Amino acid sequence: MRIRTDPILFRRRSRVVLAIMLGALGLLHFKLAHLQIIQGEKWAQLAENNRLRRIPIPAPRGRIFDRQGGLLADNAPAWQLLVFPDEADDLDRTVDFLTDQGIIEGQALNQRFKARRIGTMAPLVVAENISWEHVARVRAHQSDFPELSIVSGYRRSYPLSAGTAHVVGYLRKMTESESEGLEDFQPDQMIGATGVEALGEDLLQGRYGKRRVIVSAVGRQLGMVEEDGPTPGQDLVVTIDTRIQKAAVEALGDNAGAVVVLDVHSGAVRALYSSPSFDPNIFSSSMSPEQWSEISGDPQHPLQNRCLQGTYPPASTIKPFLALAGLQEGLVDPQWSVYCRGSIKLYGHTFRCWRRGGHGTVNMKRGLEVSCDIYFYLLGQKLGIERMGSWLERFGLGRPTGLGPAQEASGLIGNPEWSRRVRGTPWYAGESVSVSIGQGPVLVTALQMARSFALLANGGHLVQPHLIPQSTPFEPEEVPLEQANLGVVVSGLERVVHGEQGTARGALRNLPIAGKTGTAQVARLPDEDSTAERPHHLQHHAWFVGWGPIEDPEFAVAVLVEHGGGGGSVAAPAAAAIFRAAFRSGRKAVSAGKGE
Amino acid sequence: MHHRIDSALMLAIGSVLAASLVNLYGVSSAVGSGLLLRQAIWGIFGMALLWACSLVRATYWERAAPKIYAICLLALVAVLFLGQVRGGTRGWFVLGPVSLQPSEFARLGTMLMVAAFLGKREEDHLDIMAFLIISALVAVPVTLVLLEPDLGVALTFGPILVVAWWLGGLKPRVWVAVALLAVITAGVAWTTFLKPYQKERVLTVLDQDRDPYGAGYQVRQSRIAVGSGGLTGEGIGQGSQSVLRFLPAQQTDFAFAAWAESTGFIGGSALLFAFGVILFRLGVLTEKSQRRSDLSFVTLVFAWLAFQIIVNLGMVMGWLPTTGVTLPLFSYGGSSVISTCATLGIVQSIWRHRFVNQ
Repeated sequence: MRIRTDPILFRRRSRVVLAIMLGALGLLHFKLAHLQIIQGEKWAQLAENNRLRRIPIPAPRGRIFDRQGGLLADNAPAWQLLVFPDEADDLDRTVDFLTDQGIIEGQALNQRFKARRIGTMAPLVVAENISWEHVARVRAHQSDFPELSIVSGYRRSYPLSAGTAHVVGYLRKMTESESEGLEDFQPDQMIGATGVEALGEDLLQGRYGKRRVIVSAVGRQLGMVEEDGPTPGQDLVVTIDTRIQKAAVEALGDNAGAVVVLDVHSGAVRALYSSPSFDPNIFSSSMSPEQWSEISGDPQHPLQNRCLQGTYPPASTIKPFLALAGLQEGLVDPQWSVYCRGSIKLYGHTFRCWRRGGHGTVNMKRGLEVSCDIYFYLLGQKLGIERMGSWLERFGLGRPTGLGPAQEASGLIGNPEWSRRVRGTPWYAGESVSVSIGQGPVLVTALQMARSFALLANGGHLVQPHLIPQSTPFEPEEVPLEQANLGVVVSGLERVVHGEQGTARGALRNLPIAGKTGTAQVARLPDEDSTAERPHHLQHHAWFVGWGPIEDPEFAVAVLVEHGGGGGSVAAPAAAAIFRAAFRSGRKAVSAGKGE
Repeated sequence: MHHRIDSALMLAIGSVLAASLVNLYGVSSAVGSGLLLRQAIWGIFGMALLWACSLVRATYWERAAPKIYAICLLALVAVLFLGQVRGGTRGWFVLGPVSLQPSEFARLGTMLMVAAFLGKREEDHLDIMAFLIISALVAVPVTLVLLEPDLGVALTFGPILVVAWWLGGLKPRVWVAVALLAVITAGVAWTTFLKPYQKERVLTVLDQDRDPYGAGYQVRQSRIAVGSGGLTGEGIGQGSQSVLRFLPAQQTDFAFAAWAESTGFIGGSALLFAFGVILFRLGVLTEKSQRRSDLSFVTLVFAWLAFQIIVNLGMVMGWLPTTGVTLPLFSYGGSSVISTCATLGIVQSIWRHRFVNQ
């Protein structure tokens, strides 16, 4: 019988296994010796020349076109200077070199080396948009500084420059907190700061590609390990009509002010211009501290978008809305009239009409035509501040329109509750009288005004102003109105332009438009005789807001000229030029063009 | 009565683990420093486990083999449903800070089971039934591991199967049949289900300069690292291939390349010597063990360890395709260290109880 535990046979077989495998290991040891000792020099040379880089490939940002296909924002090729800090022998020497050549300012770069994320192999962009001369100088010293690399990238450019600076917007560097947790973040990524650039950021922003390459010890690319191509951003066609926009730029000239042109039916913004403006191209690459302090310290605040952020008393442009409110509430009928003697005593104070001699008997249409203050003091008294406020709010005044969520000012419609809460003082009855002619604690933006006048033009639809068209139209807010009441106000506003005594007659009577002038007091002076003698900063703000053509309304235009003087004499002529450009550009001109 | 633990074997295991920590310290600038502490904890725990396993009687391990094997299979099934995915492989149980890879432990279970089966048999040759049983014992866990899929771990079951056939005494004509089947399978695999990148890896072994920036990239960088180490190396943490992150997976698959770059031929030889001592002590034990099951187990462990070392070094030096087979005790990885230590603990148990009259 076999002994069960007899291991001899197995041991013999086991030895074979042991011998084969130990033999293989011995061979590998020879291989190790061969690689390291015999070929060692060759491999060491290869290692010396071995450099791996991860190069980001910039994705072109989506371009921005106006509705006729004109370029508003483009990408210009630009040379970027990259440094791969991992590869530098002595970064201080590199910084010294770049500073000596006048390419960078060393101080700032040193801070960025400290702040950079470690362990990514990713380069830092140390200079954008460098000149040919600098490119040549870096290339000449390439072998001394293999960690430097010049690549082509993109720089945002705005062909219309200051003409569309506020509406198209500009770019800024992403902050560190914004880039937190983003997978594809690049250290110097630019994002939209304002305007369409910010509103359309998600569409416009492309995705960086990356390429891993082997480079030689002197920075020459030897071969590519892998490449992940960039995804370009999406082009955007916006609602802006460059022809109207240019007319707005010319119409305001050197005056500070704001112009907004809306399509009365869709709410599409056809023009949006804030003056003074600035050159948005300077934000596309690194800005020097001097440039920044020059633009941010300008007393005229060119960076402020006056169309959305500037709040002004609406002055007489508020009157059509109060008239409509009076009719809707049934407090007055179109024939209700007052007698204007040039002033009236209310709550123990004398309130003046702008026309010292008075207007005589004034009904609603005439009240609008001649902009009689006495009529509206008395109408406002009937309405009371609460009803005035609630109607103005329904008409879209004193609240943001939703065009640029982060950037819009809401304005103000004062009332007793607000007065107690914010000012801590009681509401004076006289303030209600002021509000009824658009002065005192009531502030609106030019954009709000254009939108509210679009409502008068389109029969009561409060449209959604927008710059980026979407496939389904924006739903307007409906304000239920008696069409007959609306008709009275509309015909009053036609008389502002075409009536014998219309306040805008001088400038606009040849155009098929309706609208309202406004002259907003900046300060009340003891002597009210003449506005002409006032110093500039105390002069009135001039308004004209209106729409046209009357038969088939298309455009609503709001013009505000800061410290311009009278609405009829300053704002209305500006509006005339804009309307002319709009009618020329008109609906028919683009019927074959881009859709909304 | 029983013997003292095999201290030469212990010393060699400890040396490899210590070298692995030094190597992780050296590559920490490229892969982060968190791995070092984790590997140190795993190493200490592994050595303790090794000691504990050696205290259990060898015959107990043999009796418990079916149960251990069954638990391992259950774990392999469970991980397919409950496991965490890493790098496309669903192979990890995650329990708080600890993650375990059941496939590493299944290998130990399989070796115990196969050895127990061989030890039970009295015949000198494998009949067809025994051949099928042994093949099934290995094929079931391998199939489960391939479902994860983890090709690198699945490959390490290969030597277990082949050596088990050899020890059991497979008849020459069956060897011929098996070899033919292997050739056909390889041919079918090449033309049907091998992915293009896998074929490229094989081709780059045949032609070393093929596609140096594509499929051949990793091996090329590895060879540059090893070769540039020279006789004395560039110093721990000084290897440019490692610091500049040319070396892929330098804490795991290509750990030896980082070691060879930083310590040179001297360090590389020292590490190989430590592995040699481990294998030599296993060989000594096969000469001394008196039972077929013990002898089979030690031989299987020897074959598996030697296979992993050969395949890994072969890959690092460009002789074999990249397959994801790690260097035992030296590559970073908790489950690998723990399961290897447990396996060597059972080897120590056999050493201590080798003369006990059962």
